[in-house]
Amino acid sequence: MDPVLTRVLLESAVKIGLLFAIIMTTVAYMSLVERRVSAWIQDRMGPNRVGPWGLFQPLADGIKFLFKEDIRPPHAHRALYLLAPMLVFVPALVTTSIVPFGPPVRLFGYDVRLQVADVDNGILVVLAFASMGVYGIALAGWASRNKYSMMGGIRSASQLISYELALGLSIVGVLMGAGSLRLDDIVRHQMAHGWNVFWQFPGFIIFMTAAFAETNRLPFDLPEAESELVAGYHTEYSGLRFSMFYMAEYANMFTACCVAATLFFGGYHVPGLDRLGLPSGLAATVQVAAFAVKVGFFLFVYVWVRWTIPRFRYDQLMNLGWKVLLPVALLHLGWVGFIVLKGWI
Amino acid sequence: MPLLIGLILVVVAWTVIRAIAPDRPWFAFVPVALAGAALLALFYPALATVEFWAGLIGFVAILSALLVVIHPNPMMSVLFLILNLFCVALFYLMLQAEFLAALQIIVYAGAIMVLFLFVVMLLNLKAEEGLRIGTGPQRWGALGLGLLFSGMLFWAIQNRGRLAYFAPESTGGGFGTAREVAGLLFTRHVFAFEAASILLVAAMVGAVVLAKRRLG
Repeated sequence: MDPVLTRVLLESAVKIGLLFAIIMTTVAYMSLVERRVSAWIQDRMGPNRVGPWGLFQPLADGIKFLFKEDIRPPHAHRALYLLAPMLVFVPALVTTSIVPFGPPVRLFGYDVRLQVADVDNGILVVLAFASMGVYGIALAGWASRNKYSMMGGIRSASQLISYELALGLSIVGVLMGAGSLRLDDIVRHQMAHGWNVFWQFPGFIIFMTAAFAETNRLPFDLPEAESELVAGYHTEYSGLRFSMFYMAEYANMFTACCVAATLFFGGYHVPGLDRLGLPSGLAATVQVAAFAVKVGFFLFVYVWVRWTIPRFRYDQLMNLGWKVLLPVALLHLGWVGFIVLKGWI
Repeated sequence: MPLLIGLILVVVAWTVIRAIAPDRPWFAFVPVALAGAALLALFYPALATVEFWAGLIGFVAILSALLVVIHPNPMMSVLFLILNLFCVALFYLMLQAEFLAALQIIVYAGAIMVLFLFVVMLLNLKAEEGLRIGTGPQRWGALGLGLLFSGMLFWAIQNRGRLAYFAPESTGGGFGTAREVAGLLFTRHVFAFEAASILLVAAMVGAVVLAKRRLG
């Protein structure tokens, strides 16, 4: 085969494997972080028995999920019931592939980008696969043939449709500033003109709110509200299939945090780093670490909010999405247009 | 080509064995997996050609489009339509129209099909008995129009050299990028663009008015 093609395929395969490992490790340890932080917020101990400080708890959980019985309700639509968890899980993994984790580096004599796919329409890919996640949830609700599941699936579909608009509009502000759909260009623009969070603070708040809703996290977890719907769309699932919904939720969180850090907090940018004159390898390491710190902070915020704010009522959720976030996002676009015309960013 | 035809034959064989022995899934799975692996090992250089992928995606596109029409369960029809729209997006990608591909997934596979799914879920349609491809005039009309359309397609493919419109050189360098599309939309076609948006707003207001009146 063509040597260039072979190199590209090999490079992509290595990157995909690495990214998958990063996501799965983050997902596993986020489940532990969530339980420990929630325990800390509620003045409890949390899981601390398996390994030092409970560090092996995710392993134990994984083994437990593997050995639980895989229940398939006899009245469920068999094919779709089995397919739905995968349809939730795959888009959650795909979206992360376009996030730049660091600046381009030179490795083994090649220029390597620290992202799996450098797509020209990067941000559109994020939106496209964010809208794919709803199918898995809606189908899980429908295929279970259970009233609670069905309600959860329908709620999820309407919630995702409502908040996608606000999410898209908050991203439009960023695009207007950067003048490009590529995530790397957006990061470079923020290096030159300051982070977007300072210029577009309302946009950032709208993005985070909509991202909470898109990932079905509290205070927007109405699709699986325990007090009303047992467990919503995944009521009938058990074992590994249930854990796929669970992992997809955390993978979605991870993706949302990566995108938030890239769009609004300068991605891998560290202010004043280029003035230190570090060797390029060390500088790149610091930048990747900075990106990891930013993502980690957002992940912590996710957990923090979950255990602080109670769940919305359904009408409050819809009112917030359509009557508050949408008009504010439109007003915010006016402000961004103003500063872009003035040439401030 | 042999790889593509072989894979299609394997899929057909799988379907047939599943239909003959539905209660033993591994019965079909083992020989099919072996045959598929053997084909890939024999013809692996074909994986790097455009023809193979165009053929594979085209096959999936046609198969899913057929299943949209003939599947008895409306929910499965919706899902096959989504698969079909994805195949079209992949075709756009192969033609270097990345922006169009992303929009295809966002607008059609993402937004519009969610509404389809939503409606089918709410109406709770049952799987119909057997096929239901219309009767009488509908069936013959559909057949005639389908034949007419495929005739036009064949004519266009046969004469593609003579029609300047289909030549790849007729498009500029930045063809299909967001910048190019937006530039045209806001300069040359701005009237059509604004007219379409007014039409959409009018339709939306009309829908709200009708729905509210029915609620009382």
